[in-house]
Amino acid sequence: MEVSEPMPQTPEKKPDLKPAEPIGSQPSSIRITAGAGRQDRPSTASGVSCESSSIIRSKNFSLYYGQKAGVKDITMDIESRMVTAIIGPSGCGKSTFLRSINRMNDLIPHTRAEGVLAVNGVNVYDKRINLVHLRQQVGMVFQKPNPFAKSIYDNITYGPKLQGIRRKALLDEITEKCLRDAALWEEVKDDLSKSALALSGGQQQRLCIARTLATKPKVVLMDEPCSALDPLATAKIEDLIGQLKNEYTIVIVTHNMQQAARISEKTAFFCLGELVEYGDTGQLFTNPEKKETEDYITGRFG
Amino acid sequence: MSTYMTIRRAWDKVFTILSGGSVVILGILLVIVLVPMLGKGCSAVFFRETIEFRKMEFAELGRGDEQKLKEEVAQVTEARKPIYDLINNFSEGIDTERQRNRAREMYRLYGEQLRLKNTPSEQYSEYRGRAKDLRNLLQDAYEAIDAETAKSFLQKVLEKRNDPIFQDTAISEYFHMAERYMRTVETIDLSKRDQYAIALNEVQEALKKLLGPRPSEDLPPLAENRYGATRWDLMQRDLDHLMYATVWVEEEPGQPLVKKKIPRTDPSQFGGTELKPLFGTVKNNLDAIFRPQRRFYWQYFIDGSTPGHFFGGVGPEVLGTLLLSICAMLFAVPLGIISAAYLVECGGNNFVMKVIRTCINTLAGVPSIVFGLFGLAFFVLVVFGKPCILAASLTLGLLVLPVVIRASEEAIRAVPRTYKEASLALGAGRFRTFVMVILPAAMPGILTGIILSVSRAAGETAPILFTGAVFFGNVPKSLMGQTPALSYGIHGIATGDRVGMQMPHQQFGMVMTLVLLVLCLNMAAIILRARISKKLRGY
Repeated sequence: MEVSEPMPQTPEKKPDLKPAEPIGSQPSSIRITAGAGRQDRPSTASGVSCESSSIIRSKNFSLYYGQKAGVKDITMDIESRMVTAIIGPSGCGKSTFLRSINRMNDLIPHTRAEGVLAVNGVNVYDKRINLVHLRQQVGMVFQKPNPFAKSIYDNITYGPKLQGIRRKALLDEITEKCLRDAALWEEVKDDLSKSALALSGGQQQRLCIARTLATKPKVVLMDEPCSALDPLATAKIEDLIGQLKNEYTIVIVTHNMQQAARISEKTAFFCLGELVEYGDTGQLFTNPEKKETEDYITGRFG
Repeated sequence: MSTYMTIRRAWDKVFTILSGGSVVILGILLVIVLVPMLGKGCSAVFFRETIEFRKMEFAELGRGDEQKLKEEVAQVTEARKPIYDLINNFSEGIDTERQRNRAREMYRLYGEQLRLKNTPSEQYSEYRGRAKDLRNLLQDAYEAIDAETAKSFLQKVLEKRNDPIFQDTAISEYFHMAERYMRTVETIDLSKRDQYAIALNEVQEALKKLLGPRPSEDLPPLAENRYGATRWDLMQRDLDHLMYATVWVEEEPGQPLVKKKIPRTDPSQFGGTELKPLFGTVKNNLDAIFRPQRRFYWQYFIDGSTPGHFFGGVGPEVLGTLLLSICAMLFAVPLGIISAAYLVECGGNNFVMKVIRTCINTLAGVPSIVFGLFGLAFFVLVVFGKPCILAASLTLGLLVLPVVIRASEEAIRAVPRTYKEASLALGAGRFRTFVMVILPAAMPGILTGIILSVSRAAGETAPILFTGAVFFGNVPKSLMGQTPALSYGIHGIATGDRVGMQMPHQQFGMVMTLVLLVLCLNMAAIILRARISKKLRGY
């Protein structure tokens, strides 16, 4: 569980991945910059408790593709063990932000980050960070199901094997647990050696979720996980997300506003690379503060 | 509007016809190229063998039933005896030098016989003197150039036939010789004796080609001269040389000479002579002389051959080709895949990489002979100091390396990005992601490049020309030796002076073997690729 570097602004604190502790020492400063939702925050009682359980903190975070900014000046906290949805029109930077959390944007050349994006109090854009540890902490499920061209069993055990787990019994146990967690066990338990590509699209996506869970992450990032699936498979994945939030922090990017309303506790609305509004889902959908948000959720643009 | 639609439909039709037609033309071309190649090549494997082939197989390759072969050889020798007798008889009348020597020899022998019987000295000199007279008469007869003179000499010899002092001695042979020569003189024109001698020589050469050396002769040192026609088709060709004389005649004065085939039985050849029955005898007794059998010589692919590929198979060539290709691929494939991985995963797209890519593409287009000369200059002269398998396969490896790199690069590039992302998101490093996820997914594409490369490596002649191929030999025990190879063997036979003419089936056979070998390699790789693809697809 050791993570290499402490956050720059909290040098006196030991880095720890337990969500409750570290950055909570500066709640006031965070609260001030907590984006568009800051006016209603102090008034809600839950706001304080959520503050202390923030696992991902972003402060004036910007990411540039060359000269062009993907996201600009994002300041938001994401609560632990909750589903946070990010919505917004295409090209607004919601995927960019999500992929910054486990630094998948590194694959694109000439990216540059500014500001602070911290997971469990550790700035992920610190040069000295151990990417392998970060990505084991922060798993990711992609838009299109992308199981490896291997057996189901090999897909699940890929992550644990990377962590050095070699014992067959333990791997079997992990496989079963993750497949059960991903509600796939009953469908595939008889044929774990079958190629993952022989599964249906919905099954493949659940397999990808199970594969992500197998590395025991704290956070699961989901980048439009249902956009390539039919409604039935989507419903299954949504049920699954509802169960997973008891154990994991889930950040989900979606185009589907009904989906965001159905499954998330908090919702962030991005537009043109900026965070427009961030707050409780019910509030944001019924009584948005910003005009852009209202226009977007009522379908006037986007 | 409707004309526009008509034109569009017409264009679609034309397109369909053109593309379909090109496929048909391609198919026809393939048939035109492959069918004769394989058809003629089959003659190396399916043919009618003669007794000579079985003799060769037993002596050179150690295969066959000795007892049965001996019986057959005895029968064949019996069947061939009349032919040799005819030749012997006739040559006695033509080759007077030999006959004169024989007469001298008999005279000497007679002297020894007299001494052995302790003949008194005055009787001895008298007998010798009379024998000497006979000898001189006989020799005069042999030297005579017109029939009448010769006959009168021979008559004088034969008058002494009943002389008691010559009974049961060496001199009695003189009378046989005189009788025989008498018959010869009656059938041939003595003034044309030289021409007969030349023509007889031709006949004997042709007969040697056909039947091999006579049983009484010593075994010739070269394997190619030890056996007659081993195959029915070659026998037909050699028989033609026996049955017909080729002469240049001036059909019209002042015009160039014309080649003409004249039967040996023609009066201008051996018509009317004692030799004439020979040609009929040979022609009518082919089955008894050669004892042909249908043969499926599958061992062609594994047998070694006698020097110059006159007899035997292409076993060492096949092995050598496989060895060279495999060594070349062992060198080119890992290097190619690693280079491709670097180009895709680490290289980026800057100026240096673009230059490197251009260089690789250029290398792929460099003629193979240039690689061959490079192999000679570098691997042979600098690295190994002598031509060897290693030098040849490294040269071949260099030749196919650009193709492997290009194919691998494309294949790796074609792996969906999501695979890589998924692996990285699970915490894998770049190396592990490449080895565990990207490489397996790119394998079918990489295999396609390898298939093309193996076929090319197996078929290339120029790179191994100077670096480690030999025309004839066995596959060496170490990689530092030189090996025969199919491609080089074909080149050698085609450019060699005799084998291609004398043994056409060897050349076609080698071509067919090479084509089949490449086909088999491709098949194996295609099956492998299909299996991997199936595993990747999962159904």
